[in-house]
Amino acid sequence: MPQALARALRALPAIALAAAAQAAPDGDWPMAAHDYASTRFSPLADITAANAATLKLAFTFSTGVVRGHEAAPLVVGNTMFIVTPYPNVVYALDLSQPGAPLRWRFEPKPEAFAQGVACCDVVNRGLAVDDGKVFLNTLDNQTIAIDAANGKELWRYRMGDIRAGETRTMAPLVVKGRVLIGNSGGEYGVRGWLIALDAQKGKELWRAYSTGPDREVLIGSDYKPFYAKERGTDLGVKTWPADAWKVGGGTVWGWISYDPELDLVYYGTANPGPWNAEQRPGDNKFTSGLFARDLATGQARWFYQLSPHDEFDYDAVNENVLIDLQVAGKPRKVLVHPDRNGYVYVIDRATGEVVSATPFVQVNTSTGVDLATGELRYAPGKHQRTGTVVRDICPAAPGGKDWQPSAYSPRTQLLYLPHQNLCQDQEAMQTGYIAGTPYVGAIVKMKPGPGGHRGRVTAWDPAAAKARWTIDEDLPVWSGALATAGDLVFYGTMDGWFKAVDAKSGRLVWQFKTGSGIVGQPIAYRGPDGKQYIAVLSGVGGWAGAVVAGDLDTRDGSAAAGFANVMGDLKQRTTKGGMLYVFALP
Amino acid sequence: MNGVHDVLSPAGPQAEALYQLWNVMFVACTVVFVLTIVALAIAVWRAPRASERAKPDLDLHPRKVATLRRSVVWGIAGSSVLLLGLLLASFVADRALSALPLANAVRIDLVGHQFWWEARYESHSPELTFSTANELHVPVGRPVLVRLRADDVIHSFWVPSLSGKKDLIPGRESTIALRADRAGTYRGQCAEFCGYQHAQMALVVVADPPADYERWQALQREPARAPETAQERRGLELVEQTSCAMCHAIHGTRARARRAPDLTHVASRGWLGAGAVENTPALRAEWIANAQKFKPGINMPPLDAAPDDLAAMAAYLGSLR
Amino acid sequence: MSSRFLDRALVLAVASVGALTSSGCERESRDFLPPKPGAEVGHAASAAASAAAIANAAAMVGRYEHNAHAVSAGKRLWTWYNCSGCHANGGGGSGPALMDDVWIYGGDAGTIYLTIANGRPNGMPAFGSRIPKDQIWQLAAYVRSLAGLASADAAPNRDDAFLTRTPESASDPQKPETVKPSVATGRPQ
Repeated sequence: MPQALARALRALPAIALAAAAQAAPDGDWPMAAHDYASTRFSPLADITAANAATLKLAFTFSTGVVRGHEAAPLVVGNTMFIVTPYPNVVYALDLSQPGAPLRWRFEPKPEAFAQGVACCDVVNRGLAVDDGKVFLNTLDNQTIAIDAANGKELWRYRMGDIRAGETRTMAPLVVKGRVLIGNSGGEYGVRGWLIALDAQKGKELWRAYSTGPDREVLIGSDYKPFYAKERGTDLGVKTWPADAWKVGGGTVWGWISYDPELDLVYYGTANPGPWNAEQRPGDNKFTSGLFARDLATGQARWFYQLSPHDEFDYDAVNENVLIDLQVAGKPRKVLVHPDRNGYVYVIDRATGEVVSATPFVQVNTSTGVDLATGELRYAPGKHQRTGTVVRDICPAAPGGKDWQPSAYSPRTQLLYLPHQNLCQDQEAMQTGYIAGTPYVGAIVKMKPGPGGHRGRVTAWDPAAAKARWTIDEDLPVWSGALATAGDLVFYGTMDGWFKAVDAKSGRLVWQFKTGSGIVGQPIAYRGPDGKQYIAVLSGVGGWAGAVVAGDLDTRDGSAAAGFANVMGDLKQRTTKGGMLYVFALP
Repeated sequence: MNGVHDVLSPAGPQAEALYQLWNVMFVACTVVFVLTIVALAIAVWRAPRASERAKPDLDLHPRKVATLRRSVVWGIAGSSVLLLGLLLASFVADRALSALPLANAVRIDLVGHQFWWEARYESHSPELTFSTANELHVPVGRPVLVRLRADDVIHSFWVPSLSGKKDLIPGRESTIALRADRAGTYRGQCAEFCGYQHAQMALVVVADPPADYERWQALQREPARAPETAQERRGLELVEQTSCAMCHAIHGTRARARRAPDLTHVASRGWLGAGAVENTPALRAEWIANAQKFKPGINMPPLDAAPDDLAAMAAYLGSLR
Repeated sequence: MSSRFLDRALVLAVASVGALTSSGCERESRDFLPPKPGAEVGHAASAAASAAAIANAAAMVGRYEHNAHAVSAGKRLWTWYNCSGCHANGGGGSGPALMDDVWIYGGDAGTIYLTIANGRPNGMPAFGSRIPKDQIWQLAAYVRSLAGLASADAAPNRDDAFLTRTPESASDPQKPETVKPSVATGRPQ
């Protein structure tokens, strides 16, 4: 077919996506995932593989905090909004002035005690901006609305007790005047929930728990799961020993997507508590699975449990990228979900049917997903037993990929996954629930996966269900990915390199050494001067970087829940930091 | 602990098989013993005797005993037959032990701790499982499959009236099957030295008629009784907020730890501390205050608490039938 | 040899054996009852009580840090009370590392006792009302052993569980040198 026609056809998905994305002007980055479909794709095309080598630093900004910076900076109009890890300071930078001076700052002053119950560094994964308001989650269980113009507090919503181990680290999502928030603390026996707040006043509109009776999980007559294993009443109670669901985990600390046509909210629930699965016989619904819920009422439309009776800390909280895919010659509305358990799932987002589930890393904890029943076929050789050491479990607890979000380019039709390549040895131990203390029951030591490289960036073709190209990295790639219309993919390494690679081939076209390891989410925006900018927060931490951010001792391999064993060199490779870096063409 | 603790009173097929084997061995060994003693007596009686004046009869020495070879051959033959017979009896007993039909078995997950027994009753439906300690109830006439595991050191399960011994070894899992054919209370104890209080690590298996068992099981599945008096409420508050909840679980309350016996229905048990003290109100209060007095060396510490608080906790725990 | 020499040799031998065995008493004695009143330490809410705690700690060293049963009881409680959930086996996690030479509040037994009993503002819960004082001293002794500071014959040896670090008895003592300033203010560092 003629070149021009082909090019035009290829651009169609981008146009369709842009229309469906309901994003603000294409130069903004109003939410962490860029749009409700969670593509993390910027339509800006000024920076390309041809000129990326000339990218230079435009300005920097020190956040004043030196823990893990996992957030995405947001840009709406002329203002950039940044949130730091605890103590969760919010900065608004005026992009219209040289050097982007501070417009205002907001200090929520969360309780210091919250630092002790953050399992995986005192991170914050980002803000949300909507209708002139900035929405912030603080570590000590508050959601605060701030006036975007002047930094004044509008309302504050409190729910959850840090002394019972509950915290809040996720980036809220605002849809049609509803602020969607979820909690953290599955490692402390916290029962998970997703709550919708009214954006104007902060009143709670609905609350959907992840475990417990149907009326609390908001399962009613609308609930039509695709697979038989998800059907039944009060499964959130019946698939647990008596009372165990009350401390069962299933927290909602990851990403939320929204489909405006189906009016459905998509998100995943975290692992069940404790890690020692022998203490909780049963499927442990509704943990480690994906929910589709009606935005207005919170009622569940469907649920699919990716890892029933999870034994390996395989949360299902990773992002769900909403795309239209050709399946068997017909277009289908799907979500693409790269999971901790090592599979990239393509799921029909209207019904919850699994179209495909393909491993993207070495997986030996299971042998595949039965598409007829939806069951994950666990491998008996890796079954956990209290008091027994099981070796070479792949993927390790952080999974094939953890929270670090992927980006989808409608131009290349590839999903760019920043992830890790780790296996582990584990001994399950008896644990008792003591409020405010970890409820885990496992001793873990992680190690590099096959090949020895601890990290990888994979360009995954969801239609063909295979990788197009991969880049091996020495350290786990704990940053998010950014894809742009200039056919570039940006990501950062844990020793501070911020890289741009060609989206089609993976060839490195530019890199810059920032002051500290990068675990944040890069974004692209159009500045007031019309130029395209790329921004990322540098500051090592998160679970993978806790050995540096928390000054841990790697002589104990089980520190940082097993990461210490495989990150013994991190202290040599990077130090703590907290800096915003913004780049542009000269 | 009052219960039948007698290898010689079997109350079920496992113990019965062992009892039969014991009888065979006892009879065989007794017969052999008696014959040997009789032979010895005869030999002593009929041995030639000398007197001081008579000369020693040196002719005796080189003379062969005519029946020597015959005696030895008969002795070996007889012993071999008996030993083979015992081997056969042991084999038959083993077969009997493994032939217990297991249909509709009650499944119990028994974990040995220093110095108490944790019993988790399994079920096809996870929400019907429950945990108790030191006192097992089983239905008469139904097989019981006990999964044996140990938390710390090697223990051994031995309820002599119901079955033989089997070790609980840390890091390994084994099973033992038994059945009680007569209602009653059967005492057992740890049969492998496991530390300071090995001698006071008893357990009791109560065989209930099926209807009574169903009632007991239904009760155990229920959460703990809510406190009714002010003192009991104060007791619950203290149990949840001070030491007790660090190790014990009481279903329906905020106590959810697993290091020590489940107390959800503790007042329904006959004894505390794996047979150390009778579960009466007075002894219960003393036990809570200082369990070390009765059983020094166990993991339950003496409590730093005021007498009123101890009384409240004892009252609350006493209400957990 | 003269009988007097032999007598002296015998006395010397008996005395040596006696000394060796009695020095083992401190390591081996098992006291299941709590310390007698006066020797224990209350919940140190006041500065004076804190000072008393730290002073008393010196008296406790023999009973806990040099006693194998106490240190191993501390190790058992370390897992039972989920201390290992935040601090791993000394390497840290959501809680700081305890096996190195950096102590935020101080690394002597009395200060560690107060840390466990009263909690600390940056996330260490208070256990003083939840566990008996005897157990807090046992835990403090075990914490010291994580940094190699308990006496080597009393510190635990190789774990039965999954080994993640050098056994406490084989760890080099990490002399508590540095004290980090407390970061309890909630302001950016």
